[in-house]
Amino acid sequence: MKLSRVVLVALVSLGISACTKKEDKKFANYVREALKTNIKGLDPVVSGDLYSSTVMAQIFGTLTQYSYLERPTKVVPYQADGMPQISKDGLTYTFKIKKGVLFHDDACFSNGKGRELEAEDFIYSFKRLADPAWQSDGFWIFEDKIKGFTAWRNEASKAGKADYSKPVPGLEAVDKHTLKISLEKPYPQLLYVLTMSPAMVVPRECVEKYGKDFQNHPVGTGPYKFQSWTRNSQIVLERHPGYMEEYYPTVGEPQDQANGLLADAGKRLPLNDGVIFTEIVEDQPRWLSFRKGEFDYLEIPKDYFDGAVVSDDLTAEYKNAGVSLSKTVGTDITFVSFNMDDPVVGGLGGKGKYLRQALSTAYNTEETIKKFYNGRAVSAQGPIPPGLGGYDPNRVNPFKQHNIEKAKELLKKAGYTEATAPEIHIDLPNGVTYRQFGEYYQQLFNTIGVKAKVQLHTWPEFQDKHKKRKSQVFSMAWGADYPDAENFLQLFYGKNASPGPNNSNFNHPEFNKLFEKAAVMQDGPARNAIYNKMVDIVIDETPWIFGVHRKDYYLTHGWFKNYKRNGIILNYSKYYRVDQEAKDKLKKKL
Amino acid sequence: MTVATATMNQISTQTQMPKSLWADAISRIKRDKLALTCGAIIIFYALLALLASLGLIAADYAQTNPQGFSPPSPDHWFGTDMFGRDVFMRTVHGTRIALSIGLVTSLIAIPIGVCLGAIAGYFGGKVDDLIVWFYTTVDSIPDLLKIIALSYVMGRGILSVYVAIGFTTWVGLCRLIRAEFMKHKSREYVLAANALGASHTRRMFVHILPNVFHIILINFSLRFIIGIKTEVILSYLGLGVEPGQPSWGIMIDDAKQELAQGVWWQLAAATGAMFFIVLSFNIFADALRDALDPKLRNK
Repeated sequence: MKLSRVVLVALVSLGISACTKKEDKKFANYVREALKTNIKGLDPVVSGDLYSSTVMAQIFGTLTQYSYLERPTKVVPYQADGMPQISKDGLTYTFKIKKGVLFHDDACFSNGKGRELEAEDFIYSFKRLADPAWQSDGFWIFEDKIKGFTAWRNEASKAGKADYSKPVPGLEAVDKHTLKISLEKPYPQLLYVLTMSPAMVVPRECVEKYGKDFQNHPVGTGPYKFQSWTRNSQIVLERHPGYMEEYYPTVGEPQDQANGLLADAGKRLPLNDGVIFTEIVEDQPRWLSFRKGEFDYLEIPKDYFDGAVVSDDLTAEYKNAGVSLSKTVGTDITFVSFNMDDPVVGGLGGKGKYLRQALSTAYNTEETIKKFYNGRAVSAQGPIPPGLGGYDPNRVNPFKQHNIEKAKELLKKAGYTEATAPEIHIDLPNGVTYRQFGEYYQQLFNTIGVKAKVQLHTWPEFQDKHKKRKSQVFSMAWGADYPDAENFLQLFYGKNASPGPNNSNFNHPEFNKLFEKAAVMQDGPARNAIYNKMVDIVIDETPWIFGVHRKDYYLTHGWFKNYKRNGIILNYSKYYRVDQEAKDKLKKKL
Repeated sequence: MTVATATMNQISTQTQMPKSLWADAISRIKRDKLALTCGAIIIFYALLALLASLGLIAADYAQTNPQGFSPPSPDHWFGTDMFGRDVFMRTVHGTRIALSIGLVTSLIAIPIGVCLGAIAGYFGGKVDDLIVWFYTTVDSIPDLLKIIALSYVMGRGILSVYVAIGFTTWVGLCRLIRAEFMKHKSREYVLAANALGASHTRRMFVHILPNVFHIILINFSLRFIIGIKTEVILSYLGLGVEPGQPSWGIMIDDAKQELAQGVWWQLAAATGAMFFIVLSFNIFADALRDALDPKLRNK
């Protein structure tokens, strides 16, 4: 009995190891990536969250994309043939679409073979965004921008059904391979939003065949064809044999050559045979799987950071296993925002301004970075994060240098003494880290005599409070949607005040004027000069205490090549290469 | 023969000096060493809480230090937390919060439980039906959900914790008191009081209540445990006392993230402090029950 059980166990384990070996062989040259959130669906108009967008970016194509190696990253053509022709008034964009771009083979096409991409496909895909039946939250990228599009949407909502045969005045297929987009007003961010997931192109016949189930049968023009998806577990994509001609970039940053990032320059993409995304929500199993070599790269979970990185360098244990560390400063910012409508902390100029400056000067960024980010952040001097046009690396914010004496002087200027300093109320979302932040703000502001009351809320409660302008002080973060400082400066534009994204309700006439001027200008030094003036105004008025720009720490295994991270670039899988020989060798060491 | 004399002697002393319920209880507790020790621990905690709230001990519990997370040392007996605050002093101040929650919530819940229980048990009939319906309804919603809902409505802070726990935990006591009143209302002494013309209120609160008071006392000591535990759970869920106030729940909440970094002292201090007081209250309440309620006596 006992013996037979042993034999059985041995047989089963043999079977398992045979299986994994077989699987390893089958999926050789596949990129393996971990996702820390479950995927909602794979339809560009339905799921707009970061992780769903990441997977979709490998399956679907767009008109434009970001350059992979250059920093700051630039918009380059993707399935458009060259950059569009832009009319002088900035109102008409004419895109030539690449010839010979094929959809993935799928049963929804008449002979099962993917057909060629046409201008009409983009018009259909964009109309789907505006179709109320799909309830997409991605329509903001075109709302009030493309001529007649908002009216088209309103009409569809009124009729209860969208009529796809009805043209949108701003969207025109001049011929099979030419798409003309006309705008209501200049919109320099158009090229950025065209890289995003709502602007991905889908084939009409497949959407009509699968309907709402399209999110389980995605068909696109991207480098990878959808293979399988086990919900909350794994998504397998395989190389699209008919993928368009695209080559690994030949230009990058100066250090890219030394880092081996240009070794594959000029090679046909994709450089691997497929991608496997594994969804693991918990930090520990994700981390342990990476250590076993089941993922090619991983962001170090916070609690495991000290075990892997000591004094900003990888420990010997990891180095010996061929693991390397890559650090990038993220394009985001954390901040403490004041409500400019509030009688105590608000108001342009005067008392409120000095009080805000005093609190900002009492803020200790260096200690914050040490205590809350394991040193993984840089102090923010203004609203624009590094890596975006308009970011000035030499800027020093006079109210961001921790100095209690100076803060007390500013408090005096605001008309308070330490004894008569006002009490402020800070709102934060629920959670341990937020509560600790709250306690920390209390301590910091107390150094100049300002007492702070901290209230924690559920996320909807918290949002509701500042959307209704009921918060006095609150703390948040903002991540870039596209690499343009406008995405951050719009958070101070008067017309965007709550319930819009400008939750500090900052409304400064000169700033507003400059913003309106810059909003219709193309990228360049002239626009950056205006951005700089706007940042000057924001720093002087201090509607925010600027926090930090967070750094991302990623580990990559020795066999994994061409890894270069930027939070905005999502269609990265095609550039990755897996050195299978090195992998077989290194995996034995793990 | 000797045996018989001894028995006789015992019987005679007992008949000579009949003890009241309370005197008997006190002498029983006096003989119970374990209960006495636990009582002493409770008094010690209460003293700590009192001195801390008067600012006589652990006054600089909010004192920060740029060097966070120092392990236990002669300077900081239980080490320091992420902001360099002394964990020992925070634990002492946590005692204050824990005991005040036990006390204040009892002051809210016990009157409600006793009054409703007394009225239901004494009057019976429709009144009883109504009160039973009311507390069954209240009881059918899980306590934690009621407390969470209440603290969302009232906002965070110690006051809402008092109210939330106070207004949701009276049902058990109410049931007990109701049953006791049903039993007592037909006893001779109550009938006698009735014959003498005592009013309902007088019969309920002057005659019956003192005879069931031991139940309230036992319940009071058990309630402390519920109060302390609920506060810890609420703070752990982010619904408890305001940020900045030291409480054991907040300390345990902090510690769950620190453990991965090898910081164990904050968790040890908070759970240790909780362990001793909850254990002491449990043992003491048990002894009290044994001493006061002859029917439940198990030794």
